Amino acid sequence: MNLALYHGEPNGPSLTVLAALFAKELPAELIRIDLARGERHTLPFAHEPLVAMSIEAEGPILLADGEAMTDSVFIACYLDDVGRGVPLRPADPYARWETMRWCRQIIERTAPAAALLGCRAYPPQADEGVLESIVSVDLRARWREIMAGRFSQEQLADSRTKIHQAVERIEERLAEREWLMGAFSIADLESFAWLAGMVPLVSEAFAARPRTAAWLARVRSTPAVTRALSLALRSDPSASWSVGPEINRWG
Amino acid sequence: MKPCPLARVAQERRALTAGGANGMQHLQRGIGLMPSVTLYHWEPNANSGKPMLALMEKGVAFNSHYLDLLNFDQHKPEYLAINPQGTIPAMLHGERVLTESTAIMEYVDEAFEGPRLMPADAKDRWRVRWWMKLMDQWLGPSFSMIGWSVFVGPSVRSRDPQELEAAIERIPLPERRRAWRKAITGQFSTEEMEESRRRVALGIRMLEQELSQRPYLASNQYSLADINGFNLAYALPLSQPALSNDELTPNILRWLRAIYARPATRACWALGRTNLVKRVTILEQPHIGGGQAA
Ligand SMILES: N[C@@H](CCC(=O)N[C@@H](CS)C(=O)NCC(=O)O)C(=O)O
Repeated sequence: MNLALYHGEPNGPSLTVLAALFAKELPAELIRIDLARGERHTLPFAHEPLVAMSIEAEGPILLADGEAMTDSVFIACYLDDVGRGVPLRPADPYARWETMRWCRQIIERTAPAAALLGCRAYPPQADEGVLESIVSVDLRARWREIMAGRFSQEQLADSRTKIHQAVERIEERLAEREWLMGAFSIADLESFAWLAGMVPLVSEAFAARPRTAAWLARVRSTPAVTRALSLALRSDPSASWSVGPEINRWG
Repeated sequence: MKPCPLARVAQERRALTAGGANGMQHLQRGIGLMPSVTLYHWEPNANSGKPMLALMEKGVAFNSHYLDLLNFDQHKPEYLAINPQGTIPAMLHGERVLTESTAIMEYVDEAFEGPRLMPADAKDRWRVRWWMKLMDQWLGPSFSMIGWSVFVGPSVRSRDPQELEAAIERIPLPERRRAWRKAITGQFSTEEMEESRRRVALGIRMLEQELSQRPYLASNQYSLADINGFNLAYALPLSQPALSNDELTPNILRWLRAIYARPATRACWALGRTNLVKRVTILEQPHIGGGQAA
């Protein structure tokens, strides 16, 4: 198996996949790209449909034996299947359902909100030529909105609410557990990856949430996450953002 | 609770197997026992149809609890006690409640015996999940917006306005409340309808390209991606005749017909009550030309 990971700073989806790779003890060539400059769109396989149309938008790409794979939770499931070391998902079908449903909530509700708030605080900046080369029309439109600084008050308020809701769910879930699914899993990785950077940006959501605070520290100190974070080029990788998934437009 | 369509499913199976088709023998399991699975669903369409068809492909007997979406059954207190979000589907397995149709399908595949609906290869499984996400979060909502503007909205619009307003007030999720209001008043902007049509057209091209490379969506075997995709696209040549027909998208049509030919699909779509799902019979036509009227 030949793996090469094109990743950005260890934050958001890049953090999930880097940490999963390390947790599963999989050797891979690591290739740094600047997601915040749209470098993903200059890669030779950027136009392949499963890269160009990835719902996750500016996330990492795993090249596995020549096939370009996207969407961090599903890449992590793949790495969990092919790698060694401790499983990153529970074995019991019901617990696996809980994991997939949890991740779906993060992917669909938390990630778009975090990416919007992150991009507002730390705007990504791509050259016109790069923007022109973006295949997905809706992704290109989101880039333009963000680079022009057009954020609606309604979307900002809704995004903050979604961060609050995610933290509430985590706090509740941790009442009986150390990790979200009992044992350390992809759900911890993906939730941490999107929320770590929200602590300073939506600080009220994390106030008086002792279990969430302890869990954030616990995830951060796992060997896999520590190793992923050590690859950061800037002092605070959780301040690195690029255009994320779309906020639900219907249903 | 309405009793299970088991007897009916069993009967249909007999009819189907008598005709030489097989593969449904696994439905025998569980008959005579009280099934421990209850599915709360609407029509075999979109999210409801995903766990319905997955259960039937696995041969899992289940109590069918039909909720009439157009009668707002999903927002009634009895159902909110099962799923407080007031969305369909939900599945009860023993004491446990499961929601999120795609995650339910993975559960059904893993928790029960019967044919595997996820490929054995890890990369194929990644591709299955990738396509399901595209359909659930990008293509499906665009189909749905069009469907709600042309079918759901007009179906309920003529009812007593006060009754409708009260029904909307009972919806727990604010985004669903907004959606219903929009559907009832028909206030879809030209831009958002245009964007949905753009996505549907592009999604059709992507599906055609994918299915020109593989017999099934995302892998070489029938999987949850196909179940998901069929629920989205079963009436495509009827709803989008200018974009999907035997001339323009031969691979999509081949794929839809192959899925429609499966005994589980027949049994599942037979549970439909509205004209919405009866559109599936378009797939019985041997050739659907580009000139076909909508
Ligand atoms: N992500 C959920 C979505 C469920 C959902 O929104 N279902 C629609 C029907 S396809 C619904 O319940 N609509 C009725 C309403 O919102 O009142 C799933 O896949 O199960």
